[in-house]
Amino acid sequence: MKFSYNWIREMVDGLDVAPHDLMQLITIKTAECEGVEEAGSHFAKVVAARVLEAEPIPGSHNRKARIDAGPLGERTLVCGASNCRAGLLTAYVPSGTGLEGTHIGKRVVSGIESDGMLASARELGINKDHETIVELDAVTPGESLPRLQPDHLIEVDNKSLTHRPDLWGHHGMAREVSAITGKPLRDPVDMTRIPQGPAPVKIAIEDFTLCPRYSALAFENVTVQASPLWFQHRLQILGLNPINNIVDVTNYVMAELAQPMHAFDAGKLAGDTIFVRNAREGETADALNGETYALTPAALVIADASGPIAIAGVIGGAHSAIGDSTTRLVLESANFHAACVRRTSSRLKLRTDASMRFEKSQDPVNTVRALARAVELLELVSPGIRLVGGLGDLAAPPKPAPVIELHMDWLIRKLGRDIEPAEVQRILEALHFTVEAPAAGVFIVTVPSWRATKDISIKDDLIEEIGRMIGYATITPVAPVTPTEAPADNPRRRFHRQLRQLVTAQGFDEVYNYSFLSEDDARRFSLDPAAHVTVANPISIDQALLRQTLIPGIWKNIQENSKHFDEFRLFEIGYEIHRRADALPEEVPHLAAAVYQKTKEAGPLYEAKRLAECILPGCELRPAGDAAVHEHPARTAGILWRGETVGRLFEFHPNFVEGRAVVVDLNLGRIEAMGSPEKRYQPVRRYPESAFDLSVIGQRRTLAGDVEKLIRGFAGPQLESIRFLRQYEGAPLADGAKSISFRLVVASRDHTLSNEEVTAVRDAIIDGMRREGFDMRV
Amino acid sequence: MLESQLQALAASAQQRIDAAASPDALEAVRVEVLGRKGALAEVSKGMGKLTPTDRVRIGKLLNSTKTTLESALDARLKSFADAALAARLDAEWLDVTLPAPGTRPGALHPLTRIQQELEDLFTSMGVAVLDGPEVESEYNNFDALNIPPDHPARDMQDTFWLSSGQCLRTHTSPVQVRGMAKLGPPLLMIAPGRVFRNEEVDASHEHTFYQLEGMMVDRNVSIAHMLYFMRTLLKHIFNREVTVRLRPGYFPFVEPGFELDIQCLICNGSGCPVCKQSGWVELLPCGLVHPNVLRMGGIDPDRWGGFAFGLGLTRLVMMRYGIDDIRWLQSGDLRFLRQF
Repeated sequence: MKFSYNWIREMVDGLDVAPHDLMQLITIKTAECEGVEEAGSHFAKVVAARVLEAEPIPGSHNRKARIDAGPLGERTLVCGASNCRAGLLTAYVPSGTGLEGTHIGKRVVSGIESDGMLASARELGINKDHETIVELDAVTPGESLPRLQPDHLIEVDNKSLTHRPDLWGHHGMAREVSAITGKPLRDPVDMTRIPQGPAPVKIAIEDFTLCPRYSALAFENVTVQASPLWFQHRLQILGLNPINNIVDVTNYVMAELAQPMHAFDAGKLAGDTIFVRNAREGETADALNGETYALTPAALVIADASGPIAIAGVIGGAHSAIGDSTTRLVLESANFHAACVRRTSSRLKLRTDASMRFEKSQDPVNTVRALARAVELLELVSPGIRLVGGLGDLAAPPKPAPVIELHMDWLIRKLGRDIEPAEVQRILEALHFTVEAPAAGVFIVTVPSWRATKDISIKDDLIEEIGRMIGYATITPVAPVTPTEAPADNPRRRFHRQLRQLVTAQGFDEVYNYSFLSEDDARRFSLDPAAHVTVANPISIDQALLRQTLIPGIWKNIQENSKHFDEFRLFEIGYEIHRRADALPEEVPHLAAAVYQKTKEAGPLYEAKRLAECILPGCELRPAGDAAVHEHPARTAGILWRGETVGRLFEFHPNFVEGRAVVVDLNLGRIEAMGSPEKRYQPVRRYPESAFDLSVIGQRRTLAGDVEKLIRGFAGPQLESIRFLRQYEGAPLADGAKSISFRLVVASRDHTLSNEEVTAVRDAIIDGMRREGFDMRV
Repeated sequence: MLESQLQALAASAQQRIDAAASPDALEAVRVEVLGRKGALAEVSKGMGKLTPTDRVRIGKLLNSTKTTLESALDARLKSFADAALAARLDAEWLDVTLPAPGTRPGALHPLTRIQQELEDLFTSMGVAVLDGPEVESEYNNFDALNIPPDHPARDMQDTFWLSSGQCLRTHTSPVQVRGMAKLGPPLLMIAPGRVFRNEEVDASHEHTFYQLEGMMVDRNVSIAHMLYFMRTLLKHIFNREVTVRLRPGYFPFVEPGFELDIQCLICNGSGCPVCKQSGWVELLPCGLVHPNVLRMGGIDPDRWGGFAFGLGLTRLVMMRYGIDDIRWLQSGDLRFLRQF
């Protein structure tokens, strides 16, 4: 929202704060400003001039003009406008003037030295007309253009005005500035302008919740023409395009008082009643912007006997729009339910200056004020215009103004600093609250109507009013008194932090991937898109699903990084999001770690396994028979830990990754739930140990882990440790056979084992293994 | 006679020891001179023919000669061993500038680093660290935070809605709701985490980023307390004293609501491009917890009050490391990540 500094100054008598300083004050006390920019600074130099003569320049569409610029004297210049003619009063931009970023100087055009220029309205920033130079009347050459002055625009962040319906107009901001600076506020509204008498327009409101008030005036003898240039300029710099004098007045009042208005061509209305009602099923509205909108009963419309003439609070209709032929008009100034306007505007994807204001909850008191102001302005811009009859005004019973009891001791406690009651009263009154003091230390505060619609209803809202006006810088920080207690533990975060430490220590770099997944990627990994949590309004189709696994993200990381590195390790700790009926999705923390090597050789499977063993000491891998489409079918395993499957280890299928990439995917939720095994001290063994090696002959795919387990079983309690040494295939072994060798260490807790005892253990193993069908190399 | 014979023997033996070129040559000397059948033994055979007086004198001389030669032999032997060791050590020279094998520790993500740093700081201040889910109910994300349906403040946060009617949390503030339910008053908590906004991604905008929510609920919590807490927090984050200012900011879940600015750390407030010449950098929104929020969290606003704040972790990371494009953070690109 942009505010004209000049406009504010018109309503704050004696305002002597420069634009930039005013912006700072507004930022500190009211709402965040985004900057100040100059607007129309050239009007300090542009003057009225009379064209004395204008002659065509042969071979060019330009004219050579001699002008009278009053005290500046006569000048000669070249002008390309078709309306440049002798006798015309127009705007002269002397050389040396900056015009919207362009420097106007003396230059030779069509062989003639041109001293300055005659300007179009677009060049002067007044409107979009660039066909002709501006035409003035009743001005004296050499004087400034009437009421066109250099101005500054203060831009305020719209978000910080969300709760302030009153600040969507200049008068509201002027009220703030008046309270901040202590300068008196001038009200531009003269309520005596509202005519008395019966209203020519009947109003019928179906639902007063959706339309708490509808006010209207009728006019005749209307002349539709362009507004005065200064009037247009005011709108133009705020981004409100000048259209014609009537529409401009509605926009002007909106910019000033925050009350959106709409003008209907009375000659095009059917019947004498304006209906405010919900749209009927299947109804459409042809809008001013040339679009046709299909409406639902949730939308509120303004209608005449023939149908919708406007979408309430959003946009007017095309049929009844003000045009050159308009001679009579009905001026609407209404109040609509904020949420209803917002819903309709979002559904139609049509945000307008009106809907933006209405959705902030406008003040119903404002409708008639706006009409009073419009009467005055219409008389100014449409000479001869006449009111017809009196005010049409239908409203729900006014809501009583909120009354808030404010206790000084409570206020002081919330602010954290002392403040005198007199100052509290002064501040609230400067902001137009009504303040009574029935007892010492208590105020009864009545909220003004324009702050009462949504903004202020409870005493906490008043802390802000007092606080911002005294200035938060006057509050000295005070240490809170907090209980000395150890904060509640967060075991999950602690666990994840330990893991990150451990995994990075093993050489893995941490990545963060998005929570989104594309349908394509889901299908690529043979996942059913329909089984995912789906985003209803994704930015792009790539982000339509929420991930149920971290693997597609890790796969992308591998693809991208393999372009730059021959070998790398990376991991992510993130959440799988699984759909659940009638509840929030289940979010399961997972660790996914990958080792990549460009090689075609054996690959880094055992390195990945080592990582799993570092995280889960004693975990076991079991070959998985159910390899997924992205998994290498002969290199995929479940990870078992303390009897539970807690994850998966797999090499990416060569269809997915060139080179070798092995992934460990752990369900951290499950691992965390299992807790850490309790540690108990075991006395250190005092008797010496004995070691021997054993080799078992198995088939090529005999699992060393299975063999080891069998040996453990046969070895009995004296087995201290068993360690895999090597495996071997080839002569003299039969084709398809392999030998797996282990080193075993045996010992006893209460004596030194004799040779016979050691041999007995060894023999028991050999016998046992033979019974299991294994040959032994002894 | 024996005396001169011994002296000559000692002199020649010493000469041979000195001249020996190897431990083997020394051993030969030892055998020839000191051995059981060596020269000294020969000499001692003549001892029997001597007078007792001479025997004592010559015996002493014999012993001292033997001792002298033995230690000379040992010394010479040691010098060979020393030389051999020195030669071995020299031969074992390694080029220490060659690269060491094995993997290096990986890098933690910069967001992890900052989060851990802040968690440690807050924990040391007695603050509990809470988590909330990425997918939230509309109620927790909006209604319970005093943002009812069709409230224009919902526009302040472009929301990813899910087909289920739930949403991806647009801020970490719903953890306020969870925290109040879990901890009850008084409470002091933070909640770092991932949040989502439905907006186009460019160098400074992301649909996925990280925030840290903070909330304190206690008796008699004032703006002055909030200011103190914020100043302490920021002092630790930036590792120096910071000047802060509050100005009005609108967030429906606090009343009053503030934007907290810090005086620009680059120019110390005199104005520079980083602070857009204003001298101040907008850092975090905060405020006193709105009584409706307390009430919906099951806490009586007449008995308790609180403050809350939201810190943009992603922004903090970018400030800390001078990262100029937010997209790096979730790029998974190791060329970027390995710098941390």
